[in-house]
Parts: sequence; structure tokens; C-alpha cells
Amino acid sequence: MSFDHFCKITGGGWHEMKAAIFSPVSYLGPAKRGTWPVPAEPYASEAAMHSMQLSLDQFELADEVGFDWVTVAEHHYAPLSITPNPMIMAGALTQRVRRAKIALLGPTVPILNPVRVAEEFAMVDNLCGGRVVAGMLRGTSNEYTTYNINPAESRERLEEALALIVRAWTEPQPFGWQGRYYEFRSVSIWPRPVQQPHPPIFVSGSSPESGEFAARNRIRLGLAFTTVPLARDAARYYREQAAAAGWEPAPEDVLYRVAAHVADSDEEAMEDLERAEEASRASGAGATSFSRANPGLDEAAARAGYYGRDTRVQRSRLERRPLHERIEQGQLVAGGPETALKQIRRIRDEIGAGILEVIFQPGSPYQPLARARTMKTIELFGTKVLPRMREL
Amino acid sequence: MTEARTADVRFAERSVEADGFRIRYLEAGEGEPLVCLHGAAGLRVSRGHEILAERHRVIALEVPGFGESPENDRSASMRDLAATMTEAVTALGIHRFDLLGNSFGGRLALWMTVLQPERIRTLVLVAPAAILPEDRGQAGPPMDPNVLSAHPERLPPRPPLDPAIVEKQLALVRRLAGPPRDPELEGRLPDLDVPVLVLFGTSDRVIPPEMGRHYREMLPNCQYVLVYDAGHLLDADRPEAFAAVVEDFVQRPDGFLVTRKSGLLNP
Repeated sequence: MSFDHFCKITGGGWHEMKAAIFSPVSYLGPAKRGTWPVPAEPYASEAAMHSMQLSLDQFELADEVGFDWVTVAEHHYAPLSITPNPMIMAGALTQRVRRAKIALLGPTVPILNPVRVAEEFAMVDNLCGGRVVAGMLRGTSNEYTTYNINPAESRERLEEALALIVRAWTEPQPFGWQGRYYEFRSVSIWPRPVQQPHPPIFVSGSSPESGEFAARNRIRLGLAFTTVPLARDAARYYREQAAAAGWEPAPEDVLYRVAAHVADSDEEAMEDLERAEEASRASGAGATSFSRANPGLDEAAARAGYYGRDTRVQRSRLERRPLHERIEQGQLVAGGPETALKQIRRIRDEIGAGILEVIFQPGSPYQPLARARTMKTIELFGTKVLPRMREL
Repeated sequence: MTEARTADVRFAERSVEADGFRIRYLEAGEGEPLVCLHGAAGLRVSRGHEILAERHRVIALEVPGFGESPENDRSASMRDLAATMTEAVTALGIHRFDLLGNSFGGRLALWMTVLQPERIRTLVLVAPAAILPEDRGQAGPPMDPNVLSAHPERLPPRPPLDPAIVEKQLALVRRLAGPPRDPELEGRLPDLDVPVLVLFGTSDRVIPPEMGRHYREMLPNCQYVLVYDAGHLLDADRPEAFAAVVEDFVQRPDGFLVTRKSGLLNP
């Protein structure tokens, strides 16, 4: 489907694009690289505390300069992300972020107690006056080792847990749940979500299975750690499936996450990035992420059936690519404001995404630009790029 | 997993005289009697009933006017019919029993309980049709297995019902069912202290599962449990889940909220 055609079916005209800022809240201290789980030796608590404060500062600034959302996520056992319970980070954010929505993309639902997830989302929604966005993710394959859950059952667990969470948010009478994976004799959560009937729900939609599930259940779609061509196909498939189910997703129902580095000029941005790449190579952190840091474990999860129908594509999404290829594939927005806007327009046009979620950690996530630099990037993006995304 | 339960349960067909009717019933198992009342589609036993029969004496009664029985133009109301069905249980020599009703049979079972609460140990209402949305049309219950069930592939093959029988049954249901909300019935619920379990499938397309909350609201001793991924025929759609929750409730209605499943993995 062409973008013009997409505009026609979504009511015509250009749609406004919203911006989210995502931070995995990386630990900025000494740590082993290239493995998972990562041993806490070496470890510096000063660095961990500083990293969390830095993230809070960044989110606060992003809120001030006009980002529509701030986003946190759940990951375990690695310094790349030190928010194993993103609800706690979100709780802190409710006191720092006054205007933007607070998105959790998300809790890794199949490894958690769904009633607890419902309760925590409701709490956060109360603390921030109805601004929470509820992602319900399956997570990366390694997370199934975290709490010892069979990855082969992850999708069925997610689907059931989501049904239970929505019921816990909306059912006024205490009820029991006789599920396949979950059983509760009486559920009656307090507090209730502020947003009625419940906060907006996103699932990750890169695989055909999740696109179908989201379309069938009228859930919004998040596309992350992918490429523009893959995301375009996934979004198109989601819209086709939604049409078959008798509804039409709005642009705001599709989110695309991209790494970004914006500087005053293209040259400066590229220099920064190349320097970060070099540093990352030198530290040996280049190939490090959650499931990719432990290929044996990922392979075992794949054999268990974690990836579903298009295993090869799903696993290739996570492959690490050189800088120029990441830009080409739309995994990285990089340059001065003009160039960045051009790249963002392409994302919107090709995917039809109404929400662009940026992660300001170019190069290796283990080598983020220095604090002042990231703050400057957020500010620059907020003043030079964001306002023009509204009128793209 | 409970799927491993493969005991070969056979239901015997018998009949009993009560209130001037000859009432057919299916029976299997030994133990405390569990009397079952079918829905508007007529007498059937599902895999769920079979599992229950491994530990209970399951007696599935056929409502007069259903199946091969002559047209029933004598029962004037649900209340009337409830009295007849209780008499059938009495004729079987059973005084106090656990009672389970599906859909239309749920409405009937609730009437039986309201009329003689002292005889009912526990009441299980499966997708009951006792409280219905007020805007419900007069179309009557659907017969399409694809609407009734969330997993029609799990339904045992069943010869198609004679259209004349279907029409006869539906006419009786329409004549007796009463309004979507029956003030006479609902008015008696707050005083009913029989333990009640209300089950709805989350994918019920005949009666919205949210109706379950009304029973929970009005009955002083009621548990309302949703069976995930089950339709209106929830005992056939998720037989193991159905049987497990029913058995647990019937065995210990007072301790039902407190699990007895051990979390111990490696002693």
C-alpha cells in the first residue's frame, strides 16, 4: 500500500507524528561484556545509582522539551538495562515527568504474575494522573531463563495474561480465573486504572503471529529492534489483519523505535557516531545484547519454538550491522536536523507509524555519549526536530 | 497435565417417574450425587461430565418436553418445572445433592435452589441464563456449534437433531424462560445462603460473561469464575479446567478461595 493510499484510508492528509524517548537505563560503569547473564563482578554501586539518576534527568528534560512519551522497559541480568522492574522506574518518573505519557514497553508479561502487572499499571496510572501506556511484551528469548519459564509457552502465556489483565482492570466484582497457565480464585484489584476502560495497550508486532494477535484483539503495535523494510511489511500485515477483523488502526496505533543521534550538522553527528563505534569495538562490546550475547541459550530457546513461524527473519532482526547499513535500513536516524527529519519522514511514509520512539544511544549501548552530550542531543531534537515532526 | 485422565466413563440411560412425567436420565460414577440440568439444546454429557463422574455419581436429567419425550404443555412456569425436577431427584431416593445447570438449565437449577434451598449442598451455574442482558432479542438460543463453542473441533460428533425435536424444545424454552431479568427470582437471591459457583467462558458468544457479576452482587455466598478461552459450552470447550474448578468447589465450598496446590518442587 502506498502512503497516499494509506492517508486515504486513515482519513486523508498528513498525520501528525508523535515522539517518544526510550532509555533502557544502561549502567554506566565497569562490567563484563559479551555475555548473558552478566556477572556482577566488577560492579560499582556509585555507577548504578548515577545511571538511574542520569536517566531520570534525561526523561525530565525530554518532557520539558516536548516529547510526547517517555518509555522504559524490562530486562534482566545485564548492565545494558538496569530496570528489571520498569514499574518502579515508572513510579519514579511520575514524580519527574509532568506532561508526557509514561510508557512501559514493557513488562515481560509471560514471566510475571499478570495480576501483579495489572495492579502495578493501575498504580502508575494513578500516580501520573492517567498517562500510562501499557506495553505487554514477550521479551527477548533470554528472559525465559530469568524466572525459569518455558519459552515455548511464551506466546500462549502472553495472550492469556493479557486477557486476564484487561479483565482485572475492568471487572468490578471479584472474579476467579480458570486459565491454562494462570489460575486465581479471586481477583479484585485496587486501585483501578485512571484511564477508562483501561490504558492503551501495545504489543510488539514484528512477527506475523503477534500482528495477527494484535489485530484480532484491537491492540496497538510496537515495532522495535527491526528495520524499516521489515517494519513496513509487519505494519502492512497488521493493517490487513485488522481490516479482516473489521477495524482500522489509526496512525497512533503504530509505534516505530529507532536509535537516533542528532547534532548541529551531519558531519558532527557522523563523527560522534564513528567515535562511539570505535570505542565500542575497542571495548569488545559490539556484539553484546541480551539474547545475542548468549548464542547457545538463544539457540536452545529457538529450538523450543520461541520464535514461531519466521524464525530466520525474527533472529536476523537482532543482528548487529555497520553504521551506514543501520542508517540505510532505518535502524538509526543520524545527522543534523534536516537530515534527521528526512529520515523520520521516510519512517512515517513507509511504515505509516504515528509514533516515533527514539533511543539516544548510538554506537554501542554500552558506550553512550557523555552525559552533557546526550542532554544536548535531547534538547536539540526537542527544539529543532520535534516541532517540525508535527507538520511533516 | 490433567489430560492424562482417560478413565472410560460410560453413562447408563435410565428413567424415573415424577410428577406424572417419565423423565429420562443419564448416570455414571459413584459417590455424592451431582445432579445436572442441560441447556436449551437438550440432554448431553460432555467430556467435562465424564471427568466429574470419576469421583461423583453424576445424574444428568432430561427436562420433560426435551428429546424423545412428549411435548410438555403442563409445566406452567420455570417454578413449576423446577418443582418437577426436584421431585425427580426425590424419586431417585436422593435428598440432599450438589446441583449443576447449564444455560437454560442454570435458570432451572437456580429456581430449584430458591424453592428448596435446604436440599442443595452446592449449586454450580454454568453460563446460566437466569440473568440476561435486557436488550436481548427474542431470537432464542442459537444452535450453531460455531457460536455455542469456542472450540467446535473438541465437540464429540453428534447426530444432527431432528428439526421437529429442536422446534419442540425451543418452543418450551421460549414459553417458560421468562423475562431477561426476573424480579421474582432475583428478589430471592439475597437471602439464599447456598454456596454458588457461577462459571462463564471468556469467549461466550451467547450470554456475555459479564453477566456473572450480577450473581456475585446479589448472592451472599457466590464465587464467580471465568474459564479462559471457553465459549457457551464451556464444559465441552475446556473439560479439564471445568471439571477441576467444579470438583474443587463441590468438595470444599468453604475453603474454595484457599488453594491446596502445593508449590513444593523438590522436597
